[in-house]
Parts: sequence; C-alpha cells; structure tokens
Amino acid sequence: MTTTLSAPKRTAGRLSLLRRSPKLTIGILLILLLVAIGLSAPLVAQAIGGGQDPTETAAFPRWLKPSGAHPLGTDQYGRDILVMVCRGVLVSLQIGAIAGLVSTVIGVIVAFVGGYLGGFVDTVLSFFTSILLVVPTFPLLITLSAYAKEVTLFEVGLMLSIFSWPFAARTIRSQVLTLRTRAYVDLAKTTNSRDLEIIFKELLPNLLPYVMVGFATSALGSIFGLIGLEVIGLGPAGVIDLGHLIFVAISTGALTLGAWPLFVVPIILLTALFAGLNLINIGLEEVYNPRLRSVSGV
Amino acid sequence: MSFPLAGGTSTEPALEPGAPPPEERSSLWERRPWFRYALRCFLLYLASLWGALTIAFFFFRMLPGDPVSTVLQSMQQQYGTTVQASGDLVARYRTEFGLDGSVIEQYLRFMKNLVLHQDFGPSLLSYPTPAQDVIGAALPWTIGLMGITAVLSWVIGVAAGAIAGWRRGRLGAEVTANVAIAFSQMPFYFVALVLVYVFSYLLGVLPNRSAYDSQLTPGWNLEFIGSVLQHGILPAVSIVVIGSLGWLLSTRMLIVPLLGEDFLSYAEAKGLRPSVILRKYALRNCYLPQVTAFGLGLGFIFNGNVLVEQLFSYPGLGSTLVAAIKLQDLNTIMGITSLAIFAVLTANFVLELVLPLLDPRIKGWR
Repeated sequence: MTTTLSAPKRTAGRLSLLRRSPKLTIGILLILLLVAIGLSAPLVAQAIGGGQDPTETAAFPRWLKPSGAHPLGTDQYGRDILVMVCRGVLVSLQIGAIAGLVSTVIGVIVAFVGGYLGGFVDTVLSFFTSILLVVPTFPLLITLSAYAKEVTLFEVGLMLSIFSWPFAARTIRSQVLTLRTRAYVDLAKTTNSRDLEIIFKELLPNLLPYVMVGFATSALGSIFGLIGLEVIGLGPAGVIDLGHLIFVAISTGALTLGAWPLFVVPIILLTALFAGLNLINIGLEEVYNPRLRSVSGV
Repeated sequence: MSFPLAGGTSTEPALEPGAPPPEERSSLWERRPWFRYALRCFLLYLASLWGALTIAFFFFRMLPGDPVSTVLQSMQQQYGTTVQASGDLVARYRTEFGLDGSVIEQYLRFMKNLVLHQDFGPSLLSYPTPAQDVIGAALPWTIGLMGITAVLSWVIGVAAGAIAGWRRGRLGAEVTANVAIAFSQMPFYFVALVLVYVFSYLLGVLPNRSAYDSQLTPGWNLEFIGSVLQHGILPAVSIVVIGSLGWLLSTRMLIVPLLGEDFLSYAEAKGLRPSVILRKYALRNCYLPQVTAFGLGLGFIFNGNVLVEQLFSYPGLGSTLVAAIKLQDLNTIMGITSLAIFAVLTANFVLELVLPLLDPRIKGWR
C-alpha cells in the first residue's frame, strides 16, 4: 500500500528521526540489547566456567536446576544453558545479517532491473517473484537443507536467502515504480545521465528506508526459515543458534523433565528479535510514508 | 504491496497472455468483458502453475541423493539378506521411480503423468503404495486442521482488528495493536511448544501427540470425534493465536483511514448505532483486500502448519512431508509440494474470479 515517499529532511538529523517514531526506537533498542547479550557471551562463559569451556560435554552435572552458579541450569550433557543461549543469540543474529544482506542485494537488483526497465524483463521478473511469494517454499527449503548437511554459517545464510529475496524485491520494486516517473528522474534523463548513474545517484538514496525495510523483512524471514528447519531436526550441523537449542530441548526431553529454561529462554529471545525487526519495519514505513503515518497512530 | 501477484485484483495490465482477441469474435468480447477477464486470469493461473511446478521439479532433481539406493538398502535391512543389487534391478527401480533417462525426459514424463493420470509414482514411505495414495491418506487431517484454523484466524483477526481500529486512541485498542505488532511475526511453533509444556506436561490435561486416541478405531462415532477434537485443541489454538494477530493489524490499518470519510459521517448522521456503522459501512471496505490477502497468505500458513504438525505428530501432510524428506522419498515430496502449489494457486485464481462479481468497484477486465 506504500505509494508515496517523502524525501527525508536531511537537516532533521538522526535523533529526531528516532523521536518521531517510538516504534523504530524500541525496535532498534531491542536489536541492540540482543547484540549486547550475544557479545557478552565470552564474559559470561568466563564467569561461569572460570577458564574452562562451560559448554563442553559433561562440564557440569546434568540437568541442574537454575541456581546462582548456573542461572539457567544445565542441559542433558551438563552444558551451561546461559552460555549456550548467549552464543546462540550471536549466531542467530549473524545468520539474519548474512541472509538479510544477500537477499537485499538480490532484491535490489531484481527490483531495479525490473522496475526501472519495465516491459518484458519486468513482466518475467515479477512473475517469478510473485510465484515464489505465493507458493509454499518451505518444502523446497527443507529438502535443500536435508542434502546440505556440512555447511558454514555463510552458506546457511546463502541457502536461506534463495527463498527470502522475494520479500525484499517486492518492497523495493513497488517503490521504484513510484519513483521512476518523478520529475527529478525525468530531469536526469533529459540531461543525458546514464541509467546506472540515475539509479545510484537519484533513486537509491531515496529508496534507502525501503531497502532497510527489505533487509529487515528478509532477515526475519530467513531466521524464521532456519528455526523451522532446526525444530524438525534438519538444521545444518554445527550451527548452534537459538533454534538449535529449542531442538535440543525437544529431542532430549527437556519438556518432560521440566527443564524449561532450555526452550523458554530461546523462545523469548527470538520473539524479541522478531518483534524488534517488525517494529523497525513498521517504524520506518510510518516515518517515510506520510499516508501511513496518519493511519497507524502510535 | 501494490505488486501484481499471480492472483491479486490489480488493474495493472501486467501480463497479457490472453492475446488480443480475434476480430470476428470482438463482439462477444465487448459484450462480455468479464469473460475476457476470466480468460486472462485463467491463462495467468495456468502459467503460474506451470512455472511453480517446473521450478519445484528441477529444484528437487538438482539435489544429490538417490532414492533407488535407499530402496535397495531398506530391502536389504527388511529381508536380512545382502542382496547384491544387480544392474537389472537398479534399472528396473529407476524406471519405476521415473528416474531413468535424461532430466528433460524425466520432466516431460512427470508432467504427462501428473496432467493425465495425477500419478506421482510409487512412494518410499510405504513402498509400493503410490505417492498420491499416501498423500490422500494424510490430506483430510491437514485440510481439517489447517482449513479450520486458517478461517478461524481470519474471522477473529478481522473482527478484532475492526474494533481495534474503530476504538483507536483508547488504551485497550492501542495495547492490543502494540501486542499484535510484537507477536505477529512469531512462529506458530513457539506458542505450540509453550502450550504443550503447560497443558500436557505441567497440567496433564490435554494430549500432545497424534490426532486421535490410538485405542479408538476411526469412524463416525461420538467417541472418536470427541477424541479428534480433544487432540486438535492445542495445535489449533497455537495456529489461531498467532495467525489472528496478523489479520488484526492489517484490518486495523484498513479501518483507520476510513474513520473520517463522508459516508461514515452520513451513516452517523442517520442515527445508526456505531456497531451497525462498523459492520455494515466500515468493515465492508475491508473484506475485499482481506479476502485477497487470505488467498495470498495460504502458502505461508501451510509452511507454519508443517512445523506444528511435526511437533504434535499430527498425521497430516506436514508430518508426511518431513518423513518423506528424511527418507529421500522424492515422489512423495514432489507430490506434496505440487499439491500445496496447486491448492494455493487455485484458491487465488478462484478468489480473483469471484471478487469482481462481489465488488462492483473492481473491474479487472478494463
């Protein structure tokens, strides 16, 4: 529904942008909080393990209840859950960043090539984008991951972005379409600027907020997809993120044993991550889309 | 979101597969513009279907792995013998599973069997039962669970969103909207997990596995139906709780800009009760975009449904799909994916045809 775009007032500065949108602020704060939790992992590991790796198998007794020494207890292999959670946050964030970045780059290219050139190219590109958006792609993703067992973090991100770039492409393309016919683009065209020059100098800066929306949406979609893979036991080996911890909880019987921190804490953190990304999305749209701003209130 | 999706009621002349009508028929086209619109939708539908199935087919064939060796392995385990797979045997299985010849040949054969016989070939999950029969057995459970929860989420979400939009600015409505923003992107699965923990393990009041009590024989009796309902509560609630939040947000977004409109002031001036104005005047404007969105969101709902089914060992398509993938049962995987693609695109096609008839403002054929 985004049809108009008000050029951001450059004099306004970043702080007032945040002040104008509490949603954006809260979203960014949530993500920063998660980053802080992730970055604190070495300190927490040091405090709990005291030099040893607290997530090594049998580092501590199994299934310890939460206590002062182990605020979230230990799991079936005697690993400290708090340290695993802190490290898992970082991995989840990295996956989201990698997959979000790759998706956004693909999305921007597809959106610009299609939206700017129009015609047959656009028809074909948007045809495939829309197919991938409507059709359930999760079976494809599960199958792909079932065959790709030993992969690096970057490859996982790449794999996830195969299916999350259409989210970014959709958001950005609709904006390219509205911008293409603006007067300043026509002006650039009549002064004989090259297409690439127009795209990079005129269009891209004005689309930045929507590129960010595309990034947040596809990062969200990617993390979402990865968790889906992990909870059914088909996650990539060696990627120990929050979704993997949930799978460990299910498969080792943490539910029966009442070891709730092992799945409740990852769920809370992931919910915070999803909420943060969603708030950033909605906040950005509200700030840069005046029609929507009046609509959503605060 | 003004994107010409495969469905969508956009009036953009994005695709024109329905080539310009021949001249001798032009009078029919002019008299029945809806007919022309329908034909264009139908051709676009066929093109999307073909595109999606082709993408899926080549996607699966590109992956490494060999179902035939899986078959032979499982046979060896089953019969305890070390059958040395002779070339003939392997070749026979390749033919049976549709894996002989080049990929293009396989593709053409797959399409032919799909279109003419709705046949996906034998499954591995319960060899030699055809994949379509395995899918057919799981289908009612998924249709039941997913169909009911998808519709329920929509109804609850649209109703709640309408009220939240109507009462904008009030504390309750604002809290609801912000809660929805925070939780609407959460996977169904998380809620399911927490519900299972609380209601099955801590309180022990509701079952956490399967679709019915395994001691009962399926049939149309009260006991069995009761058992099905009892087993369906947790999966259904976890889907509806999150699913309705998304509809709540989008309905609210549609209602709020209407609030200052003249036709609502007019209704108010007529002395109509606010609830009537909301239902008969404001909400009517939301049905169309929200019904369209329902069609577009079906694929997403299917994705979430797969995980919920897997968690509850619900005997539907989702669990079958995961089991098939673990076995490299290519035919069943392809069958389920094709069915999901077909269902989602067909639903969108039907909605696209019906919506202009319901809403005179939409003239897709112009």
